[in-house]
Amino acid sequence: MFLGAECVLFGTLFATYIALRNNSMGGPTAQDLFDIVLVAWATLALLVSSLTSVLAVQAMHGGKFALMQFWLFVTVLLGAAFLAIEIMEFNHYVHEKHTFSSSAFGTSFYSLVGFHGAHVTFGILWITTLILQLFKKGITAVTAPKVFVASLYWHFIDVVWVFIFTVVYLMGILG
Amino acid sequence: MADHTVPAGGGSAGVKRTHRHEGPKNHLLAFALSIVLTALAFLAVAYGIAEGVHMERWFILTFIVLLAFIQAAVQLIYWMHLKDKGHGFPRLFIAIGVGIAWLAIAAAVFWTWW
Repeated sequence: MFLGAECVLFGTLFATYIALRNNSMGGPTAQDLFDIVLVAWATLALLVSSLTSVLAVQAMHGGKFALMQFWLFVTVLLGAAFLAIEIMEFNHYVHEKHTFSSSAFGTSFYSLVGFHGAHVTFGILWITTLILQLFKKGITAVTAPKVFVASLYWHFIDVVWVFIFTVVYLMGILG
Repeated sequence: MADHTVPAGGGSAGVKRTHRHEGPKNHLLAFALSIVLTALAFLAVAYGIAEGVHMERWFILTFIVLLAFIQAAVQLIYWMHLKDKGHGFPRLFIAIGVGIAWLAIAAAVFWTWW
């Protein structure tokens, strides 16, 4: 249900971006800014983190507590790596005079990609607190569904990113 | 005689489990597919902007968008368990969400270009 509502949210942000992406008001365009190699690294980090969250759930089903915690931790680390790349990237763009208020392209870009970044941040906090709680309580009837739901949320972030790297970055580089 | 009945009982207990958790095989397959689909999309664009290549822009565009949809489907089905039995309501909600998202995108595209 929640993820259904999230689809609507990202859908509208995508729609706005697609409509406004060519209005850079003389500032740098998508083609000037985006670096395909950097995006590839960010994509890889997020994709692998999706797999590690699956492995965590698998370990949980197998009752392997330490292994589950390990994979959850790796998931958080990869999420943080993704976020670090994104922050570096945004910082670089601002220096290139591509800011939230520089053009309609800028506004819709930061709204969409920034919102996704905020979701990643929230996911990292969520899974981190989950790891702490799991250390305290172990795998119980209460904590097990939490791990499962967190992993669903994390996959959803990854699916949204598939569309972001395609629509925003690859289509942007293509011009 | 007693030996004969014990393994049979153990066997049927294994069958009785209604909610079977798949092994990592399907997940690894989904991951491999995602990596391949992603790599294809990046390579197509890298190739498309390379010098001396005169490929139709709309062709690469259609190609990468198609790849994105295939990958989203793969991840939804395998990783988010939409194919599993008894997931009717999540499936319905996601479908409604995706439907409205599509409506918004179609409206925006229609609004700007036509």
